[in-house]
Amino acid sequence: MSDATSGTGTEGIGEMRALCWHGTNDLRVDSVPRPSLVNPNDAVLRVTASTACGSDLHIVDGYLPTMREGDVLGHEFVGEVAETGEGVEGVEAGERVVVPSFIGCGACAYCQDDLWSLCDNTNPNAEMQEPILGDSTAGIYGYTHAFGGYAGSHAEYIRVPHADENCFQVPDELDDTQALFVSDAWPTGYMGADFCDIEDGDTVAVWGCGGVGLMAQHSADLMGAEQVIGIDRFPARLHAAREHAGAETIDYTEVDSVLDRLDALTGGRGPDACIDAVGMEAHGTGVAHAYDRAKQQFGLHTDRGEALRQAMVACRKGGTLSILGVYGLMDKFPLGILMNKGITVRTAQQHGQRYVPELLDYAVEGELDPSYLATHEFSLEDGPEAYRMFREKEDGMIRPVFRP
Amino acid sequence: MTSQHTQRGERESSKERSGRSTGRTDSGRGRRVAAGVAGGALLLYGVARRSVRGVAAAVAGGWLLNRAIRGRSSGGGSAGWTAAEERPAKGAPRDSLDVQRSMTVERPAAELYDRWRDPETHEQMWAHFAEVDQIGEDRQHWAIAGPRGISLEWDAEVVAADPGEFLRWKSLPGAQVPNEGSVRFLERGDGEETEVTLHLRFDPPGGRVATTVIDRLDLLPDAAAGKALRRFKSLVETGETPTLEGNPSARGQGDLL
Repeated sequence: MSDATSGTGTEGIGEMRALCWHGTNDLRVDSVPRPSLVNPNDAVLRVTASTACGSDLHIVDGYLPTMREGDVLGHEFVGEVAETGEGVEGVEAGERVVVPSFIGCGACAYCQDDLWSLCDNTNPNAEMQEPILGDSTAGIYGYTHAFGGYAGSHAEYIRVPHADENCFQVPDELDDTQALFVSDAWPTGYMGADFCDIEDGDTVAVWGCGGVGLMAQHSADLMGAEQVIGIDRFPARLHAAREHAGAETIDYTEVDSVLDRLDALTGGRGPDACIDAVGMEAHGTGVAHAYDRAKQQFGLHTDRGEALRQAMVACRKGGTLSILGVYGLMDKFPLGILMNKGITVRTAQQHGQRYVPELLDYAVEGELDPSYLATHEFSLEDGPEAYRMFREKEDGMIRPVFRP
Repeated sequence: MTSQHTQRGERESSKERSGRSTGRTDSGRGRRVAAGVAGGALLLYGVARRSVRGVAAAVAGGWLLNRAIRGRSSGGGSAGWTAAEERPAKGAPRDSLDVQRSMTVERPAAELYDRWRDPETHEQMWAHFAEVDQIGEDRQHWAIAGPRGISLEWDAEVVAADPGEFLRWKSLPGAQVPNEGSVRFLERGDGEETEVTLHLRFDPPGGRVATTVIDRLDLLPDAAAGKALRRFKSLVETGETPTLEGNPSARGQGDLL
C-alpha cells in the first residue's frame, strides 16, 4: 500500500468494487465504500483471492434469513495486509495472510477452548440469534446479519477484526490459491474428519464431493482411514475424489441403493464414521426428497435433509456422525435412528483458528495441496455468472475463485 | 408482539450460556400454543421479508416461539434474585418493565466491579441504549433519544455498593420514568470467572410518556440489558465491542441496526 492510504480515520477512503446480494438469485457487482479501521484490533486487507462456498448458495437461493439488500458476499479468502489498528501487534502491513471465515476474539472461554466459531465477542448482532439458537455464535464475514453482518470478501478490501487472532501469515512456499482453501473448506473438512477419531482400519463415508466434502475425504485419508468413500452425483467431483482425495466413490444416481453399496464396501457393517458435507439443499432420488423439496418450496421449513438421514441409516452401530453441512431449524429429524444405534453426533461451524497452522504445515510439506478445488477463475465483475455456474456445477466446476 | 409483552410487565428469567436458570414455571398450555403459532407465523413472515422490518419480525417471532417451546412466558424465579431485591409476588399487578439477565465473564469479580464503576467502560457498555455521563462520584445522567425527537433523561444515584460484589442505583425524584437497576458479581470456580447478573426495572407513569418509553424500549426485556452485559463482557475481555460501524455494503457505509 502507498502512504496515501495508510490513514487510520474512521471514514472510508474511496470506493471499491464488491459482489453484493440484492435478493434471491439476484447478485450484482456494485461500487461500495471501502472499509477502514474501526476498532483498535482491526486490520484491513486487500483481498487477493476469494472463493464461493456451497453455503453461499443457501444465501443466493434465499434459504438463510437476515440477509439485507446490498450485503457483500464471501467468507473464504486470502489477502495482503493494508493497514492495522493500534492494538495489533503480530500482523504487519504487506504480509500475505489467510483468514478463517468465523471470527474469534481469542479471549473468551470458547476461544480459549479452541472452539472459535462459538466465540462470545465477535457477533455484533448476537441478540438476533439468541431467541432462535438460545445462544449466539461468533460473527462471520458475508453471511447474514444474524451471523454478524460483517461485509464479505468478494470485494477489493475487507476489514478483519481481532487481526492478531485471525490473520495467519502464508508461508512463502504457498501461492494464494494453495492458501485460499485454508480459510474455510479445508479446516471445515479437516475438523469433520477430526470429529471421527479415526483409527486403523476405519471406513469413513462422506456425503458430498464439493470443496468441504473433498477436503473431509482428503483429511480422513491423511489421518489414516483405511477406506474413504465419497458420495455425489457430479462426474467431475467424483473424479476429483478418486484422483486427489484417495477415495472410492458412489454416484448415487447410478446405484439402486447407496446403503446396499456401502454395506458391500464394509462387509455389512456400514461405515465407522459418516460425514455430511451437503447440508440444507440436499438432492436425492426418492420420496423423502420430494417431500422435503415440496415443504422447502412452500416455505414450510428451511431444510432438505436427504443426505443426513441416509448417513444416519448407513452408519455402523456405535459409529460417529459428523455434520458439516449447514442447516436451519430442521424438523423431521429421525432421532430414533441415532438413539437405537448408539451413534455419536459431532458437529460445529468451523473452528478454523485451531487447525490453520497445522494445515499450512501440511501444505508446505506437500502432503495435501488443496488447489485442485480451484477449477475456475473469474474477475469480480463476472461474479453473478460465476455463481450461476457454481450453482449448476457447470463445466465440472468445484470452486470458482475471484481475483479482486 | 414484544411491546405487548413488555406492557404486561412479565418477567424473563435469565438463561445465558451456563444454562443455570432455575424455576421455570409453565404458563398455560393454551397460551404457549398461541405464542408458538404467532411466533412461528412472525418468524416465517420475517424470514420471507428479508428487510429490516422483516428481521425485527423474525427476531420477535423466534423469541415468542422460543418462549413457547420453553414454557417460560410468565413468572419463574431465577438464580441470583434475592428477597432483598423486592421481587413482587407472582400474580401481583405488574405495571413495571422488568428484566434480569446474566452473563459469565472470564475475569475475577473485583476487576469486573472496578470496570463497571469506571465511567468510560460504563458509558461504552450502554452506548446502544443511552448516553450516560458521570456527573458526580456516585451520580450519572442518563439520556435516551427516543423517536420523533422525544427524549428521556434522568439522573441516577448509586444507593448501595458492596465493592467486588454488588451495586445498586436508582433514578432521583423527578425522573419522567422512575427506574432502578442493580448488578451482582458472583465468582465461580477458581475465581477466574464471574457470573454477572444485571437487573433493570422501569416504572412508566402511563400516558404518552409510557408509550414512548415502551416504543423506545421495544426490546428492553432482553435486548437492552442483554446487549449492555454483552458489551461489558467484550470490553473487559477484548478491549473493544464488536461493531458494524463503517461496514461497507451497496446501501452505503455503516450497519448499525
